[in-house]
Amino acid sequence: MSWYGVRLVVAHEFRVRLRTGRWQWLFAAWAALVGCVAFSAYLAYQPSTDCANCADRVGPGMFGLLMFFVLTLVLLISPALTAQSINGDRERGTLALLQVTTLSATDIALGKLFAGWLVGLAALGVTLPAVAWTVVEGVGALRAVTVVLVVGLLIGVVCAVSLGLSAALARGTTSTMMSYLTVFALLVGTPLVFALSVVMISGRDGASREDLVWGTLAPNPFVIIADAAPQPVVRRGSDDDMLHQLSTSVRELRRPPGARDFDRRVIDPPVWPYGLGFDLLLGAGGLALARHRLRTPARTVPSGVRVA
Amino acid sequence: MDEVGVSARGVDRAFGPTQALRGLDLTVPYGQVTGLVGANGAGKTTLLLILATLLAPDAGHVRVAGIDPATDPLGVRARMGWMPDVFGLYDQLTVREYLDFTARAYRLTPKVAQQRIDETLVAGRLEDLAGQPVHTLSRGQKQRLALGRALLHGPRVLLLDEPAAGLDPRSRVDLRDTLRALAESGVAVVVSSHILGELEEIADRVAFISGGRCTGEYDVAELSAATQRPWRIRALHPEPLVRALGDLGYTDISSGDAGIEVPPLSEEAAADLLTALVGAGVRVVAFQPVGSGLETAYLALTEEHAA
Repeated sequence: MSWYGVRLVVAHEFRVRLRTGRWQWLFAAWAALVGCVAFSAYLAYQPSTDCANCADRVGPGMFGLLMFFVLTLVLLISPALTAQSINGDRERGTLALLQVTTLSATDIALGKLFAGWLVGLAALGVTLPAVAWTVVEGVGALRAVTVVLVVGLLIGVVCAVSLGLSAALARGTTSTMMSYLTVFALLVGTPLVFALSVVMISGRDGASREDLVWGTLAPNPFVIIADAAPQPVVRRGSDDDMLHQLSTSVRELRRPPGARDFDRRVIDPPVWPYGLGFDLLLGAGGLALARHRLRTPARTVPSGVRVA
Repeated sequence: MDEVGVSARGVDRAFGPTQALRGLDLTVPYGQVTGLVGANGAGKTTLLLILATLLAPDAGHVRVAGIDPATDPLGVRARMGWMPDVFGLYDQLTVREYLDFTARAYRLTPKVAQQRIDETLVAGRLEDLAGQPVHTLSRGQKQRLALGRALLHGPRVLLLDEPAAGLDPRSRVDLRDTLRALAESGVAVVVSSHILGELEEIADRVAFISGGRCTGEYDVAELSAATQRPWRIRALHPEPLVRALGDLGYTDISSGDAGIEVPPLSEEAAADLLTALVGAGVRVVAFQPVGSGLETAYLALTEEHAA
């Protein structure tokens, strides 16, 4: 691997891809959409006139809504950034020509990952003014920065998994579909699996044992960003903070049955390191798969994959 | 140490249940154009992919420019140029940008890169198109660009997969001249093709590939000389020619507008016939073999194998 090679591939990917699309318009539309959501949230969380201490509700409320919206949309964009970047090049006959140069499999894999990831981060960057607004409205700066960073990492995870799929599967449509299924599994699949496992393990006595299966919820991106955010000082009005609510609920799941309502002041251990760790491993696996499939001289070639 | 451009010994390669290569041997010397001849699916492309460091052989030994691609693929890549049967160009880039990217990918220093790109543009008659996006190029221009790309880093071994497919006559002549000049300068050139008449003009040697094996390596000139082909003869006056042929025992002749055809003869026998005809006072104006010698030889050899 060499930084020279990785940088060259990144620059090349940008040049080849940016010339095809109308990125400026997409980004402008995205910025407008994020602005609308932030403004709606601002209006929605305005305190009623009879609540004097509620002014600091606005920021956390806006922030939660905004970040859930941004996370959902960037994770839906991310597969499109890399899901065809290897098998698409194969179909156009350009991949093998890259592989016979001095660029290594790692250079190509990392270059393509970073190129996709940077576009995703740019989309995230467009939302920063809206995030800054929520900070002005009372969200802690550390909190905002942490959540944005974690969203950035999750974009990388989805890009890496999609890249691995695009290297392993012959057809671009298949790898794109599989990438979207992965995002769907993380966003929607994890709560479903959680709900099913709770039903399956609950005993005849009706005891619900979420503490045994909370892990199935951990890789969920919503759970990760909610739980990774440093907790605000608990105060009145924090009910409107969606991130805080989700974090508290998920952490409570880890308590064994009798302890649940025992002591409100118990500090539950965090869930996000497990979830983020799992997702990062998933991303690392995608990258490793892409690297493996790009390695030449190739010993095995999956059926249907053309070398050149 | 290694005096040949490419050597392959006992190369096997399977794709799942399909055995693409079975114990293939091949030698490609420097300074010559070697043609790979074989039916579709005979293993030519698989062999070229192995030589191009993209595929690993299941068994056997390969050396390209004296280096084993299994242990030092980068060493091979620095000395080997490869042009696949698809151009693999980036439509969005301009011609110069494309060459510039290739030069960087081969880690040429900026100064060398600039010089090589300029030379490539001139050699490929692409100077006027340097600022044009690749997608505006004609097929012949794209082919010249693809060849220029394969040669940009000055390889000692050049591998071309079906380079003449779909080219207009002018581009074919250009390609032939380029490849001949490269061979003259000492490059080992490997060309796969199934247009045998084409190959006969380009190649010094041919290797027949069939069923994943190399069934024979021949010198093109020798092969043409040894191959029996029909000959077409034209004289100022046909009657004395027919009479003379009859006297020499050639009764199975056919006459057409282009001249009189006699049954297949080797070059040796054809030369004897011409001497005899001239000796008999026939005023011969044209005496030439019919069809491609390579094609005839290939068909004869594949028939032997089929039998």
